[in-house]
Amino acid sequence: MTVWMQILQSFPEAFASGLLISAVCAFLGVFVVLKRLVFIGATLSEAAACGIAASFVLGIAPVAGALTATFAAVTLLAGNTHEERLPRDSVLAAVFIGAASLGILFAAKSARGLEEVKSLLYGDLILTSGRDLNLLAVCLVPSAAAVGIFLRPILMTFLDRDAAKVLKVRVVFWELLFFYALALAVSASSKLGGMLLVFCMLVVPPMTALLLTQRLRMAIVLSVAAAWISVACGFYLSMISDLPVNPSIGFFSCIFLAAAAAVRRFLKT
Amino acid sequence: MKKNFASAIAIRCRNLSAGYGSERVLSDVNLDIPQGVFLPFVGPNGAGKTTLLRVFLGLLKPLQGTLKTSFNDAAPGYVPQFKSIDPLFPVTVRAVVTMGLYTRLGWWRRPSKEQRRQVSQVMEELRLAPFAEKNYRELSGGNKQKALIARALVSGAEVFILDEPSSELDEATERDVFHHLISLVRERAKTVLMAHHGIEHPLVREFDQVCWVSQGQAKLCSAAKLAREGGV
Repeated sequence: MTVWMQILQSFPEAFASGLLISAVCAFLGVFVVLKRLVFIGATLSEAAACGIAASFVLGIAPVAGALTATFAAVTLLAGNTHEERLPRDSVLAAVFIGAASLGILFAAKSARGLEEVKSLLYGDLILTSGRDLNLLAVCLVPSAAAVGIFLRPILMTFLDRDAAKVLKVRVVFWELLFFYALALAVSASSKLGGMLLVFCMLVVPPMTALLLTQRLRMAIVLSVAAAWISVACGFYLSMISDLPVNPSIGFFSCIFLAAAAAVRRFLKT
Repeated sequence: MKKNFASAIAIRCRNLSAGYGSERVLSDVNLDIPQGVFLPFVGPNGAGKTTLLRVFLGLLKPLQGTLKTSFNDAAPGYVPQFKSIDPLFPVTVRAVVTMGLYTRLGWWRRPSKEQRRQVSQVMEELRLAPFAEKNYRELSGGNKQKALIARALVSGAEVFILDEPSSELDEATERDVFHHLISLVRERAKTVLMAHHGIEHPLVREFDQVCWVSQGQAKLCSAAKLAREGGV
């Protein structure tokens, strides 16, 4: 039996969830990178991890904990009315530190202990069940669809906020829609993907794509393609070398980014 | 430039005050701006030119007073500085210009054949057609500014509001941009309101009338007189 047959027969849900998480995060990540908000990926992932840790203590569903925490983080960030004094990235950092600290404290209090922190950070796609995959699809598909369908007003809002407002684009609404869609995607992906994989997919494949193209739609396509190839390579490496899947995917994402940077450099010269 | 004061009013404000938070930048401004004129807003830095234009655009709520505009619910044509578009975004010049159609398209409709032709025609007029499929960030400052003028033109606005559009352009490019703006007034009877950094500028001196903004006040006055006296 080939390695691929083994992956598809033994871990079909794990592989499918890897493709789903990577596609949606890589799509949304194009806007995260262009909006110069990469740190929001880490912050929301950390908030989701904190929510999952809290759910172990409170005895609620992990995805409910993650959703509550990420939505609270987005609401907190949207309500930052001190932008003239505090830059957005410093507020993101404060939320990140708060969520990380609280996550560790919750994990320490839960019956599973600090070992849980490790799994929150790194996740494990291999453990995906059929139910996990269904839940992922229910959360990720609508969040990607919302951004895809409303791409025009979201893009106008991000590109030139004031001009969009003058053209009667409801900028606050579209901005919030994007960030809540992002929060939904991150919170649903965090239990299986862990902070590392989710953050990686929000940032690295979009960077790879933006190095290779100057067209937005093509950047989205290339970002998703780079993410999928990373998932396939990561699973393959994991199977043949008995390594954990999520860091293997992250490793390949960075390899492709380095390759794209080299290609770009070569084309420039 | 021969002014063309029509009887209709484009913007009327009475006892208008505006500012940011508790800071009042403009107080008790009373203005009647007629339609079909090119009116530069001049005055020292920080005097409130941009603040006043942002109130006209609906981007800033007046703290006090009344504002009536001829465009009411329709969108005015806003032309910000070309740097307002983040150069990181990979968008073509055509995509930027097409954004002007948003009030007619909304978030779902695709531009019709006629609307696409209109976009191409406006780009042709502003000599942007060769750059239509280029990335916005690849254009020169002058062409970027013209792309934003084209976006405002495509929106079908009657009143154009520009915030220091030539502040970072060289003299020749600035003259070219002015030429296009003046033709909007002369050939299409549009109203153009433009914040500009100085009355000393030779292009501004060509106008009969300017709006002088200083010390929290704004008033229409003769450009020649203002230049002679170095301010009101």
